[in-house]
This record gives sequence, structure tokens and C-alpha cells, in this order.
Amino acid sequence: MSSSPTLSLPGGRNAALLQGAGFTAILAALLVVPLAIGNDFVTHIFITMCLMAALSTAWNLVGGFAGQMSLGHGVYYGIGAYAGVILMNMGISPWIGMFAGGLIAMVVGVVISYPCFRLKGPFYSLASIAFLEVFRVLALHFSSLTGGATGLMIPLNLGWTWMVFRERWPSLVIIFGMLLVTLAVAAAVRRSRLGFYLIATRERESAARAAGVQTVRVRLIAVAISSFLCAMLGTFHAMYLTFIEPAAMFSLTFSIQIAMFALIGGLGTVRGPLLGAVLLVPITEWARAVLGASALGLHGFVYGSVLILVVLFMPNGIIGFLSRYAGKQNAEDAAPATTQTDTIKAPATPLVPPAPDRAGIGADIMRVEHLNKHFGGLHVTRDISFTLREGEILGLIGPNGAGKTTLFNMLSGFLSPDSGSVSLRGPDGKFHTPANPADFAALGMGRTFQIVQPFAAMTVEENIMVGAFYRHHDEKAARESARETAWRMGLGPLLNSEARGLTIGGLKRLEVARVMAMEPRVLLLDEVMAGINQTDVRRAIDLMLSIRDSGVSIIAIEHVMQAVMSLSDRVIVLASGEVIAEGDPRDVVRDPHVIEAYLGKEFADAQA
Amino acid sequence: MTTFLQILVNGLMLGGLFAIVSIGLTLIFGIVKVVNFAHGEFLMAGMFITWLITTRLGLHPYAAVIIVVPALFVMGALTQRLLIQPLMSARDDHVQIFATVGLSTALINLALLIFGADIANTPAHGLRAPISLGPVRVLTGQLYIFGAAIALVVALHLMMKHSQIGRAIRAVAQNRSAAELMGINVNRIYILSFGIGAACVGLAAVLIAPLYPTSSNIGTYFVLTAFVVVVLGGLGSIPGAFFGALLIGMLDALSGFYIGSDLREAVVFGVFLVILILKPSGLFGNRRALSHLS
Repeated sequence: MSSSPTLSLPGGRNAALLQGAGFTAILAALLVVPLAIGNDFVTHIFITMCLMAALSTAWNLVGGFAGQMSLGHGVYYGIGAYAGVILMNMGISPWIGMFAGGLIAMVVGVVISYPCFRLKGPFYSLASIAFLEVFRVLALHFSSLTGGATGLMIPLNLGWTWMVFRERWPSLVIIFGMLLVTLAVAAAVRRSRLGFYLIATRERESAARAAGVQTVRVRLIAVAISSFLCAMLGTFHAMYLTFIEPAAMFSLTFSIQIAMFALIGGLGTVRGPLLGAVLLVPITEWARAVLGASALGLHGFVYGSVLILVVLFMPNGIIGFLSRYAGKQNAEDAAPATTQTDTIKAPATPLVPPAPDRAGIGADIMRVEHLNKHFGGLHVTRDISFTLREGEILGLIGPNGAGKTTLFNMLSGFLSPDSGSVSLRGPDGKFHTPANPADFAALGMGRTFQIVQPFAAMTVEENIMVGAFYRHHDEKAARESARETAWRMGLGPLLNSEARGLTIGGLKRLEVARVMAMEPRVLLLDEVMAGINQTDVRRAIDLMLSIRDSGVSIIAIEHVMQAVMSLSDRVIVLASGEVIAEGDPRDVVRDPHVIEAYLGKEFADAQA
Repeated sequence: MTTFLQILVNGLMLGGLFAIVSIGLTLIFGIVKVVNFAHGEFLMAGMFITWLITTRLGLHPYAAVIIVVPALFVMGALTQRLLIQPLMSARDDHVQIFATVGLSTALINLALLIFGADIANTPAHGLRAPISLGPVRVLTGQLYIFGAAIALVVALHLMMKHSQIGRAIRAVAQNRSAAELMGINVNRIYILSFGIGAACVGLAAVLIAPLYPTSSNIGTYFVLTAFVVVVLGGLGSIPGAFFGALLIGMLDALSGFYIGSDLREAVVFGVFLVILILKPSGLFGNRRALSHLS
């Protein structure tokens, strides 16, 4: 998942303001135009637009932000509709019923999504369709509750208490209010830590986990919010339709439409779903009304065709199209790069403090004891034990295939060892043995990946913010901290660039910046210098020294010997899953075992 | 006892039908790695063409195979060339999902526009007549479908194993880049494979049309079960799809009789969800096909 628009729209401040104003105007028109015209049919179309826009915005929390393409959101809408109608028949107002339905849908959503989140792409979609079918069949079967295939009527109690009206305008006011609430929720989520975590998870799950994101939990929260909102909208729609039946409430076609508006407008954006619905609903509703039965299927045909065209030619939807246009204009105007909040400027005071006297190497902070790991018949880690001391840089070297990255994966919780343990000294002074990446992160462990894992669709700033959110819950504080880190890492001028446009050296630095923003106590660096040029290597060495001097303990896998020799306090050499040498870097490189491991036995003999 | 036997045989026959619908789907997934959400609409298109040929020309429905299978091959090949191929490089899942979902929506409604909401009954020409097999009875048409499903599995197997084109297809399915380096025109293989997969469902359409009334949403009815079958059998595995289909057919028939015909689908989809979540490689699949798991 990567080509969705970034969180903050690229483009100048003017373009952003213009878009905001345009969006507000469209939103206002949704209420004002039908009230001014006062025609029932027009009002009906606008109610449908608001409803579809709201449902699609709610869907987008799961489909767009979390990247889980649900084609079964009708389940939540249907649950809300049935809960509302059944409770109303028991004499309970739909204003209460919509919350009851919302809560039920939320529970259902979390329960059915939890096992499905391990499914990728189309298979998640298939599972969501299957759940939709199961719910439809169950609604047909339990006819004493749902009325079965004959459906359910609502009692015609008129008035605001019952949400049922003779005129159309009160329904319009209600659904417009609900649309505003849904949009506000979506906007709040997008700007919050949750929004960043969702998009980070969508872009790169493993990198998100390394940044301390509990990837399953954040997606479940998204589902809970989304299903709650969809169910409330379902209750409203049931009151508006006055009649519900399983085929219409748990409909695959309807569920696809919900997703479609978001896709057409712009997946993972706040404004996209509304734009999609506003553009498409009037055309098709009008065609349905004017052409009548002769055009049976016309609206669906239009929907399907538009969907195909959008996917082929505008995969980022209307919003993506607009912001690319705005971005181009901005480049032509050579306007200064800005974000939504303010202009980038280098901090007045240097953020790299003059190197303090090195604190010196302290007590053990990490203990690795008797680690063993097999991949099938291959013994990749053989009884590895070592310790890392506070404020130390420990170099980890060894020929390709020695098991260095596997070891890192066990040191950060991504792999669990077959036997042995990794323990970290917590801030409380006691040693803990965490079991998964989130627990490791909680103890102050940060890591980078050998193959860089940027959140490609995010800007540099947003990438670092994902790390910064680990320490700062508030968006502003996280942004501040991310900027500070970026300047320290030499990424300051690139803050607003998209991560996918960076050079390999830039990506490696971004990788380090993201983990540094988590303010780790122990840092695992996996080949941060591989493939970068000499100037960058020298900068990286200075960077690592300044990180060390700020009190962070580092284990670095590195092939660049210049770096290993000048940085490491100690070096561990790994070959075929075993520690073959350990000690001062200058001694280790002269060790015949090490020479043999790298260059073969003949070479070692020739040297002797 | 006879009742039980009859139910089993009904399930087996239903399984044959599911198999012939699912083979094309699993073939396309196995090679092109695309879940074709419009597979059911290919079936629907084939059934409508069969209906047109049979009613307008007065021919035996099976005669339509001469037109329907090539027509569906072209339809599949065009889908790959015009819709899927431009999106092959997209790293986003949603692009390919919504491409075929859009195609499915467009085709269903196109059929509604052309043929209306009425159902189209293809003349049966005796294919709906029951024949006795010992103590149980089956429809003639069902028996042909069962035979055709087996023949199709064997034919595809032979083609994949022993022909040059089959070897090329398998090479592309296993490693796209390596196949490309060996001089195989990967895009052509994809177009061909999508065409073959669609042609398979064309054959299914001809055989099913005399037994089931054709309507614009008939595809949805069959394809959801086909997805169950394909996941159960292990994605991309043709024999897996065949045996998976037989299992689902039996499950459908047994649960229809013992639990209630209105809950059949709930049982089938329930099993589907359990398999998808607990053993996503399917009952007959291997771990290599686990591309849908994170």
C-alpha cells in the first residue's frame, strides 16, 4: 500500500486554503440548496448524498486509513437499522436505539475483525463478504426477531422523538448533522496519533511495530469507530425508509457502493468520500427517477464504469488528482515549502549540543543468554550469549549468512528464540524479558531495518512523527520533536519531501531519525552505512558518536570496516550462527579465526 | 438409508457443478495472482449467450460451446490486457480489488440494461430429465457436468505438465522474473492464462444454463461459493479446487437437509471463515501459496 495521498496535502498554503474553502462551500450547499429549493425529490437526493457520504467517510477509517478493504460494511449498517427498528417497536426512541445499535455493531466489528486482520488484500475483502452473507442469512432465518424475508415496518409515530416526519427537511437536518459528526471524527482521527499509527501500519507493518505501534490494536480501534458510526447511520436510514428487509440491509451491492465513493473521492483522505458521493449520487438518482424502469441497471453500470476508470487513470481519486495539480502549480510558483501549520525554518540555536565529555561505559543494560534458533533443519543461531553495557557501541560483524539479522530480530522481539533469553534493564533498574516488539519498545529498544522500510506515502516529517508519537501523545508536541530530530539527523531541509523520493542515504538517515524520535535507550542499527557514499559514511559516524554521547547504548551490524574500527568499543564476530571472536576491534581483526571465516582457510594459512 | 445416499449423490453432483465454476478462478489466481471478483459475471455472460443461441437458433444448448468458449476466452484475455495488465505494477491491493469489483458491478448492470430483470430459461432439451443410478436418481445434465469437470481437470493437468505452453505458464506462475529472463513473454502468458481461465467458466456456463434460470445476479450466487471452494482447495491448485468443490457440495446438501435449507449458506460460509482464518493454505494447498497472509 503506498500510492495514497500523504496526510498533509502537498502544495502551497494558498492551494490548501482554496481547497478548504471549496470543501466548506460544498458542505454548506448540501444543507442550504435543498432547503432553499424546498422540493421533495431534490431533498431526497440530498439526503441520499449526505447518507452515502457519511457511510463512506466512516468506511474510510477502515478501508482508507487502516488499508483493510472491507466489502461487508453493510453488516454494521444493517445491525444499526435492525436494532433501531426492533427497539422502536418496543417503544424505545431511535435516538437511544442508534447508540444501542452502535454498541452492538462495535462489538460485532471487533469480534469479526480480530481474526481477519491476518488476511491480506483481497482475502480480507472476501472474508468481509462472507460475514455479510452470514448476517443476511441469519437475519432471514431468525424471522421472529427480524420479520424474515417479509421485512419490518416501523410504527408510524411522527415527530422528533421518533425521527419520523411527514416532510423531508427534518430528516435532512438530522443526516446533515450526522455527516458533520462523521467528518469531524475522521478529521480528528487523521490528525491524531491513531491516524498516524493506522497509516504507518498500512504502509509497513513491521516498521510500525518497530516504532512501538500495536498494529492489531490500532486497527481494531478503527473498526470500532467505523462500525459504531455506520450503525448509527443505519438506524437513521431505517427511520427514513420506514421499512427494512435483510436483502436491502445486508446487501453486497450497497456495501460495494459505500467503499466506492471513498475510492473515487480519495482513499484515506478526510474529504474524498464526500466528494465522491456528491459527484455520483445526483447523476444516478436523477437517471433513476427520469429514465425510470427503462434504465434499470443504468446507475449500477455508471458506478461500475466510473470505478474502473478511476482505478485505471486516477488511482488516488479526485483528491489525489487535485493535490497533484496544486502541487505542480506550487512548484511553478516556486513558493516556499510549507506545511499546514507553518513554514520550515532551521532552528536558531544549533540542536546538536557541543559533545559533552563522554559519560563512559556503565553497567549492563542488555543481557543475551544462550540464544538458539532453527529454521527447519538449519541451525541459524547457536548458543549465543553476550552483554551490552550502558553507553557502549558494540559492533556486530560477520560474513553474509552468519545470522546477524536473525539475531537482531530476536533482540527486538520480531522472532522468538527456540531457547535462551534476551533481557533488558528497565528504567526501574530491574531486568525484564519482553516477548514482542511492542514490549521491547516499551523498555526503550529501537531498531532499524537492513532493507529500509519507509512509510512511502508519508512525508519525512510524518515518518519521524510516527516514532515521536511514542513519547508524545499530542500531535503538536510530536511534530515539534520530529522536526528537532530531523534537523539533528541532517534531514531538516527535506521535512516536507515524500519519503519515496529520498536517496538511499536519505532513507537510511530517515530510518535512524524515526527510531531516534522514540528516544530509545538501546539502539539496534542494521547496516545503516551499506550502500551510501563516503561523505555520508563520515556524517553517519559523527551521528552515531553523538547518539552514543547522549547516553544511548548501540549495537551496530556493519560491513564498512572504517566505521566499525572507529566506532566500536567492542566487536562481536558471528559466523555460521556462532560467536567466533569478541573483544577490542584491533585485536579481533587480527584473530586467525576471523580471517578464516571471512577469507577462507587457505588465506589464513598463507598469512601465517 | 436411500435418503442419505440420495443426499450424498446430490451433494456430489452439486460439487461437480461448483468444481467446473471454480477451476477457472483458481487457475487465474494461481498464475496471474489476481482474485477476479468478476468471475461470476463471466459465468453469467456465458449463460446469457447460451440462452440466446438456444432460443434464437433453436439449437441444443451444448452446441453453444462452439461460440461461448471462444467468446469467453476473448473476454478474459481482454480483461487481462486492458484492465489488469496496466495495474500489475501497482503495489496497492485496493487497485486490483476494485478493478475487478468495478468490472463485476458494470457487467451485472449491463445485463440488467440489456435483458431486464426477467429470468431467462434456456430450453433443457431433456437435460433436466432424471435418470436412475441404482437406488439414486440424478439429472442427466448434472451427470454431464460431473464428467466434464473431471475431464477439464485432467485436460488442464496434461496441458500444464506436457506442453511447451504449459511449462511456460508454470514457470511464470512460480517466478515471474526468472521466467522473463528465460525469454518467456510474461505479459502474453498472463493474457493467455486469463483467457483460458475465462474459457473454463465459459464451458461451465454452457453446461449450467439448461439447469438453472439465467439472470443478471446468477454470477454472484455461484461465485461466492466458488471463492469458498478455491480457498478450501488451496489457492491456485486445480485438483484442490475439484476436491474442495466436492466437499462443499456435500456440506451444502447435508446441511440443507439436516440443519435447514435456509441456513445452508450460513454453514458453508461459516466453514469458509474457519478455514480462511485457521488454515489459510487450504486443505490441499501447500505453504508456497500463502501469498495472502501477512
